[in-house]
Amino acid sequence: MKLKKVLAVTLIAAMTAGMAACGNTTNSSQTGTTTNNAADDAVAATESGDAAAGASGSLSYADITLGEDYTDLTTTITLFNHRTDLQSADYNGTTWDEYLAAFNEMYPNITVEITTDTNYADDALMHLQSGDYETIMMIPAVDKADLSNYFLSYGDLETMQGEINYATTWEYGGQVYGVPSTATTQGIVYNKKVFEEAGVTELPTTPDEFIAALQAIKDNTDAIPLYTNYAAGWTMGAWDAYIGSNATGDNTYMNQKLVHTANPFQDYGDDTHAYAVYKVLYDAVANGLTEEDYSTTDWEGCKGMINNGEIGCMVLGSWAYPQMEAAGENAADIGYMPFPITIDGVQYASAGADYSYGINVNASDDEKAAAMVFVKWMTEESGFSYNEDGLPVDADSTETKLSFEGVTFLEDEPAVAGEEDLLNQMNSESELNINAGGDAKIQAIIEHAFNGTMTYDEIMDEWNQSWSDAQEALGVEVTQ
Amino acid sequence: MAATVAKVKKEKKPFHFMQWAKSRKGQQVIICVAFMVIPLLLLFTFTYLPFGEMVKFSFYDMKYSTPADKREFVGWENYLDVFRRDDCFGALKLSLYYVVGALIQLALALYLATILSFKVKGGNFFKGLMFFPYLISGIAIGFIFKFFYTRGFVLDTVLQWLGFELENLPYWLRDQSINNWSLVATSVWRYFGQNMVLFIGAIMSVDAELYEAAELDGANKFQQFRYIILPSIKTIVTLNVILSITGSLSAFEQPYVITDGANGTGTYFVIMNELAHTSQKVGLASAMAVVLLLIIFACTILQKLFFKYIFRDAASEDESYKAKRARLKAEKAALRAEKAKKGVA
Repeated sequence: MKLKKVLAVTLIAAMTAGMAACGNTTNSSQTGTTTNNAADDAVAATESGDAAAGASGSLSYADITLGEDYTDLTTTITLFNHRTDLQSADYNGTTWDEYLAAFNEMYPNITVEITTDTNYADDALMHLQSGDYETIMMIPAVDKADLSNYFLSYGDLETMQGEINYATTWEYGGQVYGVPSTATTQGIVYNKKVFEEAGVTELPTTPDEFIAALQAIKDNTDAIPLYTNYAAGWTMGAWDAYIGSNATGDNTYMNQKLVHTANPFQDYGDDTHAYAVYKVLYDAVANGLTEEDYSTTDWEGCKGMINNGEIGCMVLGSWAYPQMEAAGENAADIGYMPFPITIDGVQYASAGADYSYGINVNASDDEKAAAMVFVKWMTEESGFSYNEDGLPVDADSTETKLSFEGVTFLEDEPAVAGEEDLLNQMNSESELNINAGGDAKIQAIIEHAFNGTMTYDEIMDEWNQSWSDAQEALGVEVTQ
Repeated sequence: MAATVAKVKKEKKPFHFMQWAKSRKGQQVIICVAFMVIPLLLLFTFTYLPFGEMVKFSFYDMKYSTPADKREFVGWENYLDVFRRDDCFGALKLSLYYVVGALIQLALALYLATILSFKVKGGNFFKGLMFFPYLISGIAIGFIFKFFYTRGFVLDTVLQWLGFELENLPYWLRDQSINNWSLVATSVWRYFGQNMVLFIGAIMSVDAELYEAAELDGANKFQQFRYIILPSIKTIVTLNVILSITGSLSAFEQPYVITDGANGTGTYFVIMNELAHTSQKVGLASAMAVVLLLIIFACTILQKLFFKYIFRDAASEDESYKAKRARLKAEKAALRAEKAKKGVA
């Protein structure tokens, strides 16, 4: 009896201790790091002699001189991102390990731990919501008003515009919260050889020419003219990226005018605007110019297929271009062309930031400093943007592998002050989710085109209706 | 000095408590409470508290990221929306596919369980083989079947061996008239093994002498099944039916992983997920969840009543329903009388 009691008490004690231990360890380790940090901070501040950044505690991207400041900083930071391919040793370009090795030559005491995720967009939001997230994250789709709750400001907009391009991407209240990892433009990735074999010598510049080119590929080659990547979902949502500058030649359309436009999906009659963009897809599917079974398309498989000349083209951002080149032996066959919409004789392409680095606002001062050093290094020294076939992010650089002759690049203007979240709200209310994961609506275009269940105009009418209803529900002024 | 104070105190109140705690009754109570507190606490924290929060969300217009003070209270608006929108309840129609699938699955499981519970060569091997799919994770099954149904892949190849021409075969996931059946087949393949094992377990508990007696009376295998096995395992049959049907109302994994809910395969759960995570209409999605819960409650109660009706017939085969009631009443009365006697004594 006694023994049993003792046993029971010990067991309970052990269990409570076990539970308490969970809480305790994190606590003590946290206090541990903070004290360490304080010490490091002092060291960093005095030794690097950068009083402006270290001592006053206000960290600024522009004030950091790489290779001179914070060289004695010892800390460990984490980076959460979407580039799973860069973590594989098979990657044809520069891998994360190689970047980190180069970074540690300059900053040997800053350890960067990288986690990548194939379902990044959703999981990153989950991390943010949990409150316990990595030191550096690729900023997912958060409301701009919430930016300062999650991320540290790199500095004010004016200063940052002198440092980087696309500074307005994650700007709110005059502060910049995100530095783009690379910048991309929107066009069509295609196989030059397939187009040649089909007898298409001039790149199409209007929707009609494009459909004619696809038809020629179907008639003259064995390749699938346009691969939709329907099954992957997000590849469908990618079509939304073309309805802004590409289809209107107006860099205020996407972020400022769209929300105020009455029936933005109507037929403007001149092969421009959103109507012309989605119509390319509808017509291609309706005319049998896409793969025969859209429901089982395979994203990983399509890269090798276009590389081998089994696919004519795919509508994807320029970020996809290096992946298609790397997927086989025919890198030279892969080309990138502007979206076939011409406005008054000019083709436009919207250039914009890819995922941007955001720094955890709740991190310790040391981690913040290390993170900012790392972001600056990635932007200015690593060559990441160039290696990934992107447009330059560093304001002083013009190096890029993309050649888009005769195309005018436009950088989307941010929303006007006070309307930063209006597009998000409209997206949510209308459920069209333009450029925000609205994959289902574009998948539906393919379904309707293939099964003939709805005409293209009926689909667009429905979208116009949703958009108008949302404008009404949110009390948005319709001025366009 | 301090020691005496402590002693005095000890002798007053805690003394009684200690005595009570040491007594058999006290021990019983303490142990009961101690054992109950931990699971109840876990249950409350991880089930009822989040559920309560979700019910609360269903009355608000909010996103996940909306701070608590900016959430807008909208009353029953979200619930009205669930009934007004045609995509919410339209998606419930898809559940009918899964309900039919669940019934096929149970019939198949019961049939195989009955066969395997008699002496069969390699019985255990087959049991293991058929139970195996249940052990694979739903996501992995999704990926397996995505390739299984792809044009010219596994299923088409096997059918071609059997003499089918590729041109005559449908596109299993593209064709909207059969793609839901393709998904349901996946679900059946995954779960029938588990149902079967449950049935076998129940059938094992049937007294073997009953079969012998039935055989002596000249009952064939089917009659043995109908009059011995089925009535003996009715509890487990009822349970499995209820679980399968509620499960088919909330089908999610197969459409989500295999088709992403596109192409007319978006079940109620998939639509709910899309609304909550893509359109960020958390309030509406929560309301949908609560409505589904009520529907599942209703279905469960209806099924309970249905089975009560069915098995009432089975139980009253040798005595009429009225006679049985009268007998039960008499028994109860006798019991009461006995209790009363004890009370007097």
